[in-house]
Amino acid sequence: MSDIAATDYSIVEEEPPELLARNLRTASHLLASATAFFFLAFVFGYFYLRSLNNAGLWHPKSVSASQAYGAVVMALTVASAFLVRLGLFDHRRGRRPQWRVKGGAALAAGLAAIVLQIVEWTQIGFGPADGGYASIFYGWTAFQVLFAVGALFWLENILATSLRYGKIASGAPAPGEASGDPHRTAHDIRDPLSLVRAGLEAVSFYWAFLAGLAVLAWIILYLI
Amino acid sequence: MTAFRRLIGFNLLTAVVLGIGGWYLGWFIGHQITGKSLDFFGEIDQNDISIFLGYFMGVIAFLLGLGFGVYPWARMRGYPPSLREKETAGIGRYFTLCTDHKVVGIQYLWGIGLFFFVGGLNAMFIRAELLSPTNHIFPPGQYLTLVGMHGTMMMGMMTSGILGPFANYVVPLMIGARRMAFPRIEALTFWLLMAAGTILVTTILFGGFPTGWTGYEPLNDQANGGMDAYIAFFALVGISMTLLGLNLMATIITMRAPGLTWSRLPIFCWGVVSTAILMVLAAPVLVAVLSMAMLDRTGQTSFFIASAGGSPYLYENLFWIFGHPEVYILALPGFGIVLELLPVFSRKPLWGYRLAVAGLMGVTLLSWLVWQHHLFVSGINSDLRPFYMLSTELISIPTGFTFLCGLMTIWRGQLRFTVPMLFCLAWFFNFLIGGLSGVFLSDTPSDVTTHGSFFSMAHFHYTIMGGLVFTFFAAIYYWVPKMFGVELNELLGKIHFWLMFIAFNSTFGPLFAVGFLGQPRRVVSYPSHLQFLNDWVSVSAFVLGFSMLIFLANLVYCLVFARVPAPANPWASLSLEFQLPSPVPVHNFERVPVFTGDPYGYGEAAPPVGVPAPSPAGGMS
Amino acid sequence: MTTAPRDGVIANDGHGRRFVIAFIVLSVIATPLVAIFVGPLFPPGNGSAQAHEQVFDNTWLVAIMTPPAVFVVVFLLYALVSFRSRSAAVVDGPPIRGDARIQAVWMAATGIIVLFLAGFGSYELVQSGSGGGQGPNPAFTPAGASKAMDVQVIAQQWEFTYRYPSYGGVEVPHLVLPANTLIRLHVTSLDAIHSFWAYQLGVKADANPGVDNVAYVQTKGPMTFDIHCAELCGLWHGYMFDTGQVVDASRFASWIKQQRTYFGPVVKYLPKYSTIYLPDPQRRAG
Repeated sequence: MSDIAATDYSIVEEEPPELLARNLRTASHLLASATAFFFLAFVFGYFYLRSLNNAGLWHPKSVSASQAYGAVVMALTVASAFLVRLGLFDHRRGRRPQWRVKGGAALAAGLAAIVLQIVEWTQIGFGPADGGYASIFYGWTAFQVLFAVGALFWLENILATSLRYGKIASGAPAPGEASGDPHRTAHDIRDPLSLVRAGLEAVSFYWAFLAGLAVLAWIILYLI
Repeated sequence: MTAFRRLIGFNLLTAVVLGIGGWYLGWFIGHQITGKSLDFFGEIDQNDISIFLGYFMGVIAFLLGLGFGVYPWARMRGYPPSLREKETAGIGRYFTLCTDHKVVGIQYLWGIGLFFFVGGLNAMFIRAELLSPTNHIFPPGQYLTLVGMHGTMMMGMMTSGILGPFANYVVPLMIGARRMAFPRIEALTFWLLMAAGTILVTTILFGGFPTGWTGYEPLNDQANGGMDAYIAFFALVGISMTLLGLNLMATIITMRAPGLTWSRLPIFCWGVVSTAILMVLAAPVLVAVLSMAMLDRTGQTSFFIASAGGSPYLYENLFWIFGHPEVYILALPGFGIVLELLPVFSRKPLWGYRLAVAGLMGVTLLSWLVWQHHLFVSGINSDLRPFYMLSTELISIPTGFTFLCGLMTIWRGQLRFTVPMLFCLAWFFNFLIGGLSGVFLSDTPSDVTTHGSFFSMAHFHYTIMGGLVFTFFAAIYYWVPKMFGVELNELLGKIHFWLMFIAFNSTFGPLFAVGFLGQPRRVVSYPSHLQFLNDWVSVSAFVLGFSMLIFLANLVYCLVFARVPAPANPWASLSLEFQLPSPVPVHNFERVPVFTGDPYGYGEAAPPVGVPAPSPAGGMS
Repeated sequence: MTTAPRDGVIANDGHGRRFVIAFIVLSVIATPLVAIFVGPLFPPGNGSAQAHEQVFDNTWLVAIMTPPAVFVVVFLLYALVSFRSRSAAVVDGPPIRGDARIQAVWMAATGIIVLFLAGFGSYELVQSGSGGGQGPNPAFTPAGASKAMDVQVIAQQWEFTYRYPSYGGVEVPHLVLPANTLIRLHVTSLDAIHSFWAYQLGVKADANPGVDNVAYVQTKGPMTFDIHCAELCGLWHGYMFDTGQVVDASRFASWIKQQRTYFGPVVKYLPKYSTIYLPDPQRRAG
């Protein structure tokens, strides 16, 4: 373990500019696969416990989830993902201010969905201890919220970067202007548009995927 | 920075201090929520919400203390994704968040090594207890905690045993990359694992846990506070595994140097890819099922309580849907290592490259279809048993491909019996026995007697320890000269190998008989006519433990005292990482290489695999 | 450097030929020896029809696996001795990257072995379930199952008790079974997961709370057998064992009569006989 000098960034950061986009796209797909398998456990649990109905306590009569809340939470989540996608289309066409508006609206809609879900838990009239369905319901929706928080945090990061670069029309900012670090002159910072785009593509995919899982949750937990 | 300034910055010390503080904060909040009386010392009432919140906030604080909060905080305010952390030179960076994949690899080696020895020590205690047919050293509760800690620590840690230290270090070098796709996530996987290991050890403060590494419900739900440490440990390990697999997959997919097509990828990288696929998909299921267990223990849900609408079978099924791919996560890197090293020490190309890849991918695919062979006598619906028998038997076909390719690589070679080679050869013998014993277990009529007995225990120790751990040591002896620039003593290595190989077989071979003769697993007492066999096994186990001490002595002596410089390519390997100086410079390659073939051109008149792109100033040697 | 020999099964310099001959000869010698001498050593012996099925199955398994084991061991020994590098300097071997014929033969051979094993095991399994627990609706029932005698095994932390529904539901602490009878065991648990393992009878069935796990056993002659709990169930799992007996029909009749007299007064305090019991409350964490 000899002494190694600090990284010489003049050598290291000559990376192809599209590398970030490739990495983020791959990561968002892998993350989506991992998320899918995570929630698959709850899907499995739902159908398995329902088929067993041990002690007749799968879904006691007193347990009834509110259709209104469920539909609104799902609709807000889907709307949020839809808005992000529309914002992505705007960004692809260079309409950056419109993307920022849609991004902000998407963030608001997503947060509203989370808040409403939390409210639902307090209003719903049954608790996690009320049988198999109740357990799956609370567990599943709790993790929907957790993953949504993560995805919205990611979205907020992209939005914040976009706002920070809002004044820069295109092309190269002065060294250090974008990052606050005068020694950073990497490709990715030279071209802020590619930066936001890469992240936006990835988060749009992942948030749309999560919204799809939210629809699945709504169908399984509320509809059938 | 002055030494004092570095001491109070983001580093392990800060992290530990903050972590302990975070634990107490979570504990306090938990008590506020549940309204129980607060009593830090002599806590009698078990309060699982407090314990879990304590662990959760402790881990968050630990990570913040290491500096993992800096980047999200910057991103939240709109700063761009940056490759760069404040890097320091010297040994201090091994105790911080470092984004150099080589540093992370070495951190993993020491960290996993430490917990491996903790788990191994537990095993020594277990075998000491089993010297006598009735319990004579440990009360039954402590014995069960030892059994559980041994299994849980080993399974949690050794899952990343090869990917953590070696894939992180070597994969970017093999593919001609200067970094991994997500360096910060890489560092995160390591520190999460360290936090997890520490949490598991704290189980003894709360009374230990009685379920063994499988954590079966409803015993899991019944257990006292120490069970929470198991759940928290494994959930964190699951998250670490998912991210580790994700990072490695992304790196191999996107960051291969020009010319490195999939058909030229070193077989070790294929082993990493197949393992990473399983990690990304199976580990989330573990996190999910443990979250359900946590909810049962804290929120009074009834996922697994039959009298309240749940079912223990849900746990068994979900656990093994994770658990079976998990054991292939343990085995596949071993396949990759063996197939990677044999060409070097046989001086022949890897035989049947495509078949080997097909074998790895076949195992990956089939591992999803076999899990109910753990449940043959559990009382679930028995219609599917012939299917699961078939699918489990089928897995031996792709496994057999690995055998064929390895054996034919040796055939007609110019074999050199270096220490890494010895460990790889031992793999064939061990995994043969492990695999064949698996045939008995996969056959339902035979499984009726062997399930839950020491036969099953011997089987998985042959495959996991005889397979994975032997290749773990092969990898250590092979890559340590590159990683540290220092040679390991060959004589001590050979003594370690032979002692370990003989003691290992002497320990686990008789356990097949012990299982056949009717001794169940995880018991502290057994029929007295089995005492001779158990004593033989225990003494062999102590010798096995002693062989590990020889290894440790070799490692410490050579790294710290003797420090004989190792040549850049001690094994005359054609693999790209050995074309670099030892230890490898921070940015790996002066210029990114262009690949013209695979690294198995032994005996062929082919140019070296990684030819540097033409440059006016001359390239890499 | 010499040209690479095509490493078919029959090679120029005799290595391949010698190995194949050694493999065939040793397999032909070893396999019947293993089948004849090792087979009968397999557990769990001959105490019941199911135990016998398992021994038969194990004998076939080990016999079929002998040739692959011989292959790998002989191959390793041959290769490690013959191909050890004799030069001090590092010398390369021939650049052989593969052989389609060898690959095809291997795939076919391993495929056939595996499919045979799976088929054979299934055949043995469907005879009667081989003594394994099959859940409440067993798929593999032996002939004459409708006339089987029901015996319930109740597992709890940390002992087994046994109820005989056709004898008034009496619950007794030790298991006694009549000889030469088809028995339908109903295994269930009151708390955690246990596993009823009657070693010499070749029976193992997990005891799950809320589940009726059925296993069939056809007893033979009088004998004693060991019962162990085979699933970790908590503190005294290691001490959760018992001894059971198989006795002839007349002794069984007198035994059960005596048990009914002795435990009779207690039966009315027990829950009515049922295939599952769900005692409430369960001990839970919090």
